[in-house]
Amino acid sequence: MKRRDYDAVIVGGGHNGLVNAAYLARAGLDVLVLERRPVLGGAAVTEEVYPGFQYCVCSYVVSLLRPEIIQDLELARHGLEILPLESTFTPLPNGDYLVRWADHDQTRRELYRHSPRDAEAYDEFGKLMLQLAMAVKPILGMAPPDPGSMRPGNLAKMARLGRHFRDLGSEKLAALVKLMTMSSADYLDEWFETEGLKATMAASGIIGTFLGPRSPGTAYVLLHHYMGEIDGAFRAWGFARGGTGAVSEAIASAARSLGAEIRTEASVERILNEGGRAVGVALESGEEIRARLVVSGLDPKRTFLGLLEPDELPSEFVDSIRHFRIRGSSGKVNLALAELPDFTALPGVGPHLRGAMSISPSVEYLERAYDDAKYGEFSRRPYMDIILPSMIDPSMAPPGKHVMSIFVQYAPYALNGGWDDERREAFGDTVIDTLCQYAPNVRDAIIHRQVVTPADMEETFGLTEGNIFHGELSLHQLFFLRPAPAWANYRTPLANLYQCGSGTHPGGGVCGAPGRLAAQQILKEHRP
Amino acid sequence: MSKRYDAVLVGAGHNGLVCAAYLARTGLSVLVVERREVVGGAAATEELFPGFRFDSCAHRLGHLDPRVVSDLGLGGHGLKVRRPDLAVLAALPGGDHLAIWRDPQKTAEEIRRHSPDDAARWSRFGAAMAPAVRFRGHVAVATPPELPPAASRDLLAFMELGLRLRRTGRREMTEIMRVLPMSADELLDEWFESEPLQGLLAALGVSGLFLGPRAAGTAYLLLGGLSPDAEVLRPTELVTGGMGRFTEALAGAALANGARIRTGVEIERIRTAEGRVTGVVLSNGEEIDAARVVSNADPKRTFLGLVDPTELDPDFVRKVKNIRTRGAFAKVHLALAELPRFDGATGRPELLEGLIRICPSLDYLEHAYDDAKYGGVSRSPYLEAVIPSLTDPTLAPPGQHAMSVYVQYAPYELKEGSWDADRREALGDRVVGTLSEYAPGLDGAILDRHVSTPADLEDVYGLTGGCASHGEMALDQLFFMRPVPECAQYRTPIRDLYLCGAGTHPGGGVSGTAGYNAAREVLRAGKRAK
Repeated sequence: MKRRDYDAVIVGGGHNGLVNAAYLARAGLDVLVLERRPVLGGAAVTEEVYPGFQYCVCSYVVSLLRPEIIQDLELARHGLEILPLESTFTPLPNGDYLVRWADHDQTRRELYRHSPRDAEAYDEFGKLMLQLAMAVKPILGMAPPDPGSMRPGNLAKMARLGRHFRDLGSEKLAALVKLMTMSSADYLDEWFETEGLKATMAASGIIGTFLGPRSPGTAYVLLHHYMGEIDGAFRAWGFARGGTGAVSEAIASAARSLGAEIRTEASVERILNEGGRAVGVALESGEEIRARLVVSGLDPKRTFLGLLEPDELPSEFVDSIRHFRIRGSSGKVNLALAELPDFTALPGVGPHLRGAMSISPSVEYLERAYDDAKYGEFSRRPYMDIILPSMIDPSMAPPGKHVMSIFVQYAPYALNGGWDDERREAFGDTVIDTLCQYAPNVRDAIIHRQVVTPADMEETFGLTEGNIFHGELSLHQLFFLRPAPAWANYRTPLANLYQCGSGTHPGGGVCGAPGRLAAQQILKEHRP
Repeated sequence: MSKRYDAVLVGAGHNGLVCAAYLARTGLSVLVVERREVVGGAAATEELFPGFRFDSCAHRLGHLDPRVVSDLGLGGHGLKVRRPDLAVLAALPGGDHLAIWRDPQKTAEEIRRHSPDDAARWSRFGAAMAPAVRFRGHVAVATPPELPPAASRDLLAFMELGLRLRRTGRREMTEIMRVLPMSADELLDEWFESEPLQGLLAALGVSGLFLGPRAAGTAYLLLGGLSPDAEVLRPTELVTGGMGRFTEALAGAALANGARIRTGVEIERIRTAEGRVTGVVLSNGEEIDAARVVSNADPKRTFLGLVDPTELDPDFVRKVKNIRTRGAFAKVHLALAELPRFDGATGRPELLEGLIRICPSLDYLEHAYDDAKYGGVSRSPYLEAVIPSLTDPTLAPPGQHAMSVYVQYAPYELKEGSWDADRREALGDRVVGTLSEYAPGLDGAILDRHVSTPADLEDVYGLTGGCASHGEMALDQLFFMRPVPECAQYRTPIRDLYLCGAGTHPGGGVSGTAGYNAAREVLRAGKRAK
């Protein structure tokens, strides 16, 4: 039987790969997606790890899924339903707590309880952040220009960018520069005095980075919390009914309905290169699949150092990819619970259990957690971002029972002595011990526990060094430098090879933007 | 009736003197008012014990602006700059050391003992960083354009910078943009594996900063310590006779150009009327009329201490308050009966003629910062010592030596208590203890000891928060953000009030560039007014 050639073969069925496939298929390209695992979604999966309990194994919230993607791909029709995560609850060491609710007035009253000054500042802060979010939105939505290129199209893009910044005016521009370069701790210090508030907000600046809240460059991630608001559809943080895997399934379903073909358990071993041109892929099984173009949703290290030989790429480019920082810093603990956690600070079942629960009592707590990791240990008292998916979507667990998703930072990939079963369990114990300081009943309520270390993330999901963002979101790895200078426009030194993963602009999170922007770039060059 | 000056300078720090000399040179009548009895501010040499003279605050030059030296004829006023063959001696635990010589070949041989790979990369590192170092140097001497460019002049300045960046070459340009916001840790990790070399270089990236070597932006500071040519590391520049000789030469040049300098009297207030400067009021009640005032005091002292608050917009005041001036260093001066016996350098005094640095690894530095960020003094601080008496016998009695030690991190704000006599002595003990690990027997050679805590540095030199650079040299406080966007062109919201200190671009370090740039802007505005 003669095997047909595809227009595009996409390596990796993570959410960005699927988004990319769907857009390419929608434009009429003949597309094949190849996924190594039996399930689709990459790090955005829901799996029944323990009978009856659905775990969001890795990614657990839909932070910034672009509304245009939901619309373009009609994801609602394909079963996507996003439920809001309405609150952030922070138990405090003094027995008190702090909650930020979806309801603005309620949050204001709560903040007022801690500090009238902060309650006032919170509104002002929100207004400024919203303005700044609007200022960066067009940047997140564009393929980065190459400041080194003198091509007219590129120069025009640079000029547009320059005008955009100029039109912001001096106040907003200065605020943006500060946000891009400051540490979240310093930035928030300019606004607030309540420790728990500063820490919980600062925590969002360190997620996925190997930096502490006092590290410059962590402030700008604060913006992401306000991006959802300008999109209007839902607040920044949402949970997909059925877990994060449901997002991937909806995108996959959309892609299929647009004509894309998807194969699981098809592990790509290398990219076929003929005379400096990608012409397809070879699978581990030995099968070769030919295509006019290849798109990789894998992280840059796996793509360029794993699927190609160094001599197939310019040495300078290979150096850049080798230098690309991708240190994993987080782990995940998923629990099947016989009962709900009972927080000492706010006992009983309440609406706070339907939102995020944040173990971030103070900036110093977070910074100390980082100190441990800096020197190669997991945090003795880690930062944790917890949700109870079964509170939002009861179908995630058997009736009366619950699943808990705990994002844990810091857990360095390069642990002193390396990760093994013993260290994994020790890490899990640390997480439970920490949690039980705030909700002591959890220990006895645990029916099953899954601990995912950065080493596990690498092994299972193919995330190099267990980095959930395919590369740290540090200043020198953003925009036109992501993942390498001159190659931020989703193209690669190999003709007809493209990249569409989180290692490209605008980076990680279940947002789908890299997949979509890559598709736009590809379609500019390869109209069917 | 007292005389009306064309310009009154607040403070006779080195930038104030540079600015005064340039203004006087164009024929303006200039008065410099200095609170202390000596000129020089934080660049002074003082006799702390009979017979021993020390560089009391800054002990080395930081890319002294060559235009200043030649324009003002500082050589003629007694300035002698010494660039020792050995730039830095890093003392290492266990008696070893790592010496960085001006000669890159010699340095490479030295590095080879620690890592042959690093030795091979040494010159390549210098060459790879040179375009960024040159660009950084160019940026330093320019007045930051307004952001966003309001006038065509600013737009041109921006385009000029962009063009200059572009002309470095396509690859060089992106590399500059990539490296500038990096951390010292990230940059050094790409190049070197030897811990002593990483530590020695990382120290450049955090000098004076309340941040560790893993903080974004420390690569930018590190580049400031590199040379744009083959030497890789910028030569260590020491002033023969002590830093005071430099500021005395500047004062000499200012006086020769007709400026007047008054010491021992403080400016209490900058007098304003209807949003513009009219003069200054001294602490003795004396009022002096002035067409303009240029402040060498740091921005916080200037705006929060010397100016009528009702003249300033509350938003502007908030921004000034938000300038981070977290002091991170202390100074310890030791009068020594003999030369310290650094392991591996005994009997080789030529190894001690440059900087002696104790910062054996990047993690050492990071640990030192860890202590400070929670409000404590580093248990094992990063130290940089000089022994100027080694080459200038006038600084100490015969056979004896004066050693000054820069200590980081000593936070201005302590978690517990405040800087008092006990804590000052504890700091001194800790520094001597750390030094003794590398120079055994040092303790026994100490005749006298003088410790300046960050609080002392604030009191004596008027450095808010004990911050030598008048505002941390962090990414968000550089260039057109320095000290706040409204003042990045050395002008201020108050008409005829200018800034010329380290709080303005390009920041800290004894270079004189801020004073030079400020003088240029004052004169440019003067021309426009005519």
